[in-house]
Amino acid sequence: MDSITKEKHIPKYINPYFGGVLLGILILFTFYITGRGLGASGAIKSAVVTTVDKVAPTHTESHTFYSKFISRDNSPMSSWLVFESIGVLLGGLLSGALFGRIKKLRVEHSPKITKKTRLIAAAIGGILFGFGSQFGRGCTSGAALSGTASSSFGGLIVMLFLFGTGYAVAYFFRKLWI
Amino acid sequence: MNKNYFILFGLLIVLSGGLLFLPEKTNYVQQSPESLMWDIVQPTRYISTDQVAKLIIEKDPLFQLVDVRPDYDFEAFSLPNSFNIPIDSILTDEANDIFNIEDVNTIFLSDDDIKADQAWVIAKRMGYKSVYVMKGGLNCWIRTIIQPQKPSESAPITEFELYNFRKGASIYFTGAELSTNSDIKQEVSITRKKKETVAEGGC
Amino acid sequence: MGPLIPLGQISSGWDFIIALIIGIAFGFILEASGFSSSRNITGVFYGYNFVVLRFFFTAVIVAMIGLEYFDYMGWIDLNMIYILPTYLSPMIVGAIIMGVGFIIGGFCPGTSYTAIAIGKLDAIVFTLGLFLGIFIFSEIFPYIEDFYYSGNMGNITISEVLGISNKLFTFIFVIIAVIAFYVTWLIEKKVRKTINPYKFE
Repeated sequence: MDSITKEKHIPKYINPYFGGVLLGILILFTFYITGRGLGASGAIKSAVVTTVDKVAPTHTESHTFYSKFISRDNSPMSSWLVFESIGVLLGGLLSGALFGRIKKLRVEHSPKITKKTRLIAAAIGGILFGFGSQFGRGCTSGAALSGTASSSFGGLIVMLFLFGTGYAVAYFFRKLWI
Repeated sequence: MNKNYFILFGLLIVLSGGLLFLPEKTNYVQQSPESLMWDIVQPTRYISTDQVAKLIIEKDPLFQLVDVRPDYDFEAFSLPNSFNIPIDSILTDEANDIFNIEDVNTIFLSDDDIKADQAWVIAKRMGYKSVYVMKGGLNCWIRTIIQPQKPSESAPITEFELYNFRKGASIYFTGAELSTNSDIKQEVSITRKKKETVAEGGC
Repeated sequence: MGPLIPLGQISSGWDFIIALIIGIAFGFILEASGFSSSRNITGVFYGYNFVVLRFFFTAVIVAMIGLEYFDYMGWIDLNMIYILPTYLSPMIVGAIIMGVGFIIGGFCPGTSYTAIAIGKLDAIVFTLGLFLGIFIFSEIFPYIEDFYYSGNMGNITISEVLGISNKLFTFIFVIIAVIAFYVTWLIEKKVRKTINPYKFE
């Protein structure tokens, strides 16, 4: 791109436009083959339902939310999105290995905050994201990305409000990142 | 920004702009001439007026009647519960909504066979499978159902049974028409084909 | 004609294998484009790094244009693809909560999986947080059920809401995206002069 980005420490990521085209083609073929888009948070939902079902089966049966996802024939873990998410993990592993980014466990954070702050922030962010994804009927990949690509109105709404909120509150959390 | 990016952006705009200039798409699968020919020579597309009368009397929900005559003819006389789609508006969206109702067979009718047959061919070409034609049209309807001819004394018993059925149907239709003349033309209730629903949310 | 699995052209037994392969491709693309790094992702909100926007918009417009052409060529039946249903108010609230979670956590679910793959501890914590967040949601669901189902608009598409054709919307969307690409490039150039270059890990 331009000369400023050619920093010494920048790892060899592929060009974002090129990555975007690849992802666009992948979404297209996912729709062509399966008739639906990509997703990610659905796998966690399956994991939650499975865990709660194992710990307290009577609770899940009477519960209006869990009972939607439980059938006695199939474990909720044998769902499309669970396999897809395992694939995402493997794909990340593959790319990380190829570009030499797999290292020991580490925490990436802004020099202005401590490791602990970053981990607490990550946990809070995760809780909020998980909670919100249920109301949003999907996360960035399921609702915003695949939803908008299939021209679902809800997908567009999620995309606009997700990134819009990000910009609106970014200032208050700038210490976490820059 | 690298100049090459502008070329790529231009390509994207051209590709998406090209969408706007695509000729109108035919959103149905066309039937090949051979299979259309086979369908045309088969007499199985015809349904007799007696069968139609029976369907109407029994209020069979799996069949719907589509009258392809012009609307002024339809206003003057029509079969109960039939829809009016003049043959020149058979390709409109409203017509498609009627043909698209799932698991419902469509029977075309007109004054005679010809217009209904033409509508049938068009519908076939549009890819609709369960379409039929009322044999003989409304002329035949009047002859057989409304004013049935009494068979001769020596006719077989089946003829008499048919005659009795027609006589009954005639009373049913002429009687029913007098009383419900005002609300013959039903409101068209449209149930579009349901979209494929996938079990769980996207993400 | 597609989609292949809903129309029964590939038996559903292949479902999970295809899911795995699509997942691997998705994970590979995400990681290779740099979304295993949370600071790389959140750069989009501070103007120093717009890779998310470039990546995201390019993917959406390529898929949109592709679907339109596939539909035109008769390769895919757009009536058979899954249109995410719209529940207006809960979706707006959900997206706002996700937006806050995004800026605090620095990941979204898909990217956190790839970050776990290359050994980011914060991504593991984020994913545990996701688990907890969905668990909390499920537990309090009976109290928020009414809101969860409110504002139901069904499987409505953007063009149905705006009253323009899908093709026209795709074109407008592409124009907006290209303008965004150019503007963010200008912003990025400006911001990078004032901000210290940061080190990726």
